[in-house]
Amino acid sequence: MIKHFLKTNLILLAIHGFVVSAAYAQNYDIDDYDEIVSSSSDGAEFHIMGFGDVSYISRDGNNNDGFVIGQGVAHLSAYLGQSLGVFSEVSATGRDSGYSMEIERLIVKYDFSDRFKVSAGRYHTPIGYWNSAFHHGAWLQTTTSRPEMVKFGSKILPIHFVGVLAEGTLPGNKIGMSYKAGFGNGRHANIGRAGDAGDINGDKAWMAQVQISPERYYGLVAGLGYYQDEVTPGDRPPIKEGTFSAFAAWTRESPEIIVEYLQSDHESIANSADSGDVRAWYAQVGYRLNGDRNLWKPYLRLEDTDVDSTDPLLFDQGLDHDARILGVRWDFNPYAALKFEYRNEEFNNAGRENNFRVQLSFVLSKL
Amino acid sequence: MNTFSNILTTITKRATLLVLAGFLMLPGWVHAEGTISENGGIAIVVHEDTDVSDLSMTELRNIFLANKQFWADRSRIILLVRAPQSDERDFVLNTIYQMDEAQFRQYWIAKMFRAEIPRGPKIVFSTDMTLDLVVAIPGSISFIRADQVTDAVKVVRVDGKLPSDEGYPLK
Repeated sequence: MIKHFLKTNLILLAIHGFVVSAAYAQNYDIDDYDEIVSSSSDGAEFHIMGFGDVSYISRDGNNNDGFVIGQGVAHLSAYLGQSLGVFSEVSATGRDSGYSMEIERLIVKYDFSDRFKVSAGRYHTPIGYWNSAFHHGAWLQTTTSRPEMVKFGSKILPIHFVGVLAEGTLPGNKIGMSYKAGFGNGRHANIGRAGDAGDINGDKAWMAQVQISPERYYGLVAGLGYYQDEVTPGDRPPIKEGTFSAFAAWTRESPEIIVEYLQSDHESIANSADSGDVRAWYAQVGYRLNGDRNLWKPYLRLEDTDVDSTDPLLFDQGLDHDARILGVRWDFNPYAALKFEYRNEEFNNAGRENNFRVQLSFVLSKL
Repeated sequence: MNTFSNILTTITKRATLLVLAGFLMLPGWVHAEGTISENGGIAIVVHEDTDVSDLSMTELRNIFLANKQFWADRSRIILLVRAPQSDERDFVLNTIYQMDEAQFRQYWIAKMFRAEIPRGPKIVFSTDMTLDLVVAIPGSISFIRADQVTDAVKVVRVDGKLPSDEGYPLK
């Protein structure tokens, strides 16, 4: 009997040893291992991501309330070796006449080091915060829409830029300083568009931005930038444009604070007395609730855009605007959010209006 | 005699069951896990050829946020992060990132969206996988429980301290 007991348990011990050692030798999928090793070497690696949104908009005294399909955006990015990367972004935007497709960004970047990376292509112009941080990603931004000063097709700010860009971090600084400097085509004759097919005049646009993220205040980002160009609108003489921007963002969720200001000076090249400027700012505060309510994030945004009546470029574009926006974001799914927003705003001094928006936004990503 | 034999058979069977149960529970005992802090904290491990032995907490955070993407010799840093629902990941999200899962996900999606990086961190599923990959991939960096470190990887000091030192920040 004892012999039987020992025999049985020796067999069990052997089986157990085999099972346990096998389990601990291969406690992960070898395909996952191979994929990571392979993609970490010099082989190409691709990543696909997408954004989209659907809104319902109701406006004061407006008979065309209804659903609006926002931009559908697809990203394809790739490492082509350890230092060369390619990033592309294509959007589909609903219009009355159908959908328009657009190459929003196409960037080929070579990373020499953290200090110096150089790229060429079509960018979101690195002026201010919102235009680079969120842009087409409605799911990324707390609110349903962009501030008016950086809205799609904005004539206040050149939203896109075609050219070359150098960027990097500065060594050994506790304030986490980084820079971006770009040179390329300025605005198109249609000043809401970038010069995709070439510069409309011989005068190239240039820009520079410095940004800090101090280690002592983890979550704080602040920056200053300047953009200069000679603009040749289709319907008026050439105008010199210089845009200064400043921003500060506390990027933690409780609270989230974003403040951005820009001033754009315009001066006729033929007559320097023919000048004026645009001043625009917004301030947004959001607060991710704690505990069981942490899927909810109430927010508030104030906006103001003021265009001089003497501004030679923008005086007749109807861009004066101010808004008070109140809303709440509900992250009901890790990859989707529902936002409810009330807006009280005034366009071009034409009287205040109220509108209400509900937006469903989502991201398609492996992460 | 039969009665004695029956009793002995019963005892043998029960003893066998007990031994069997013990064996089945052994892996759990081997990996019996107190809190990470009780077991020496989290060790930051790198490929043995990586020319780094000490990182400040700020440098470590910048590496884990992909704000710093290159080692001093200009080789690319390969960040390996544990998949969700592991104690190690929770600990690192709390101490280094200071984010919850949702913020962590949004951070990396936003980073890729801004074209600052073409991909997020590499996701690993166990300590063994982490160790094997850190050994296999030059430039890699990751984190494991300090009591599971092996000689195959290099442990990096954080703010001048190893996990065994008093005042180690990832404990």
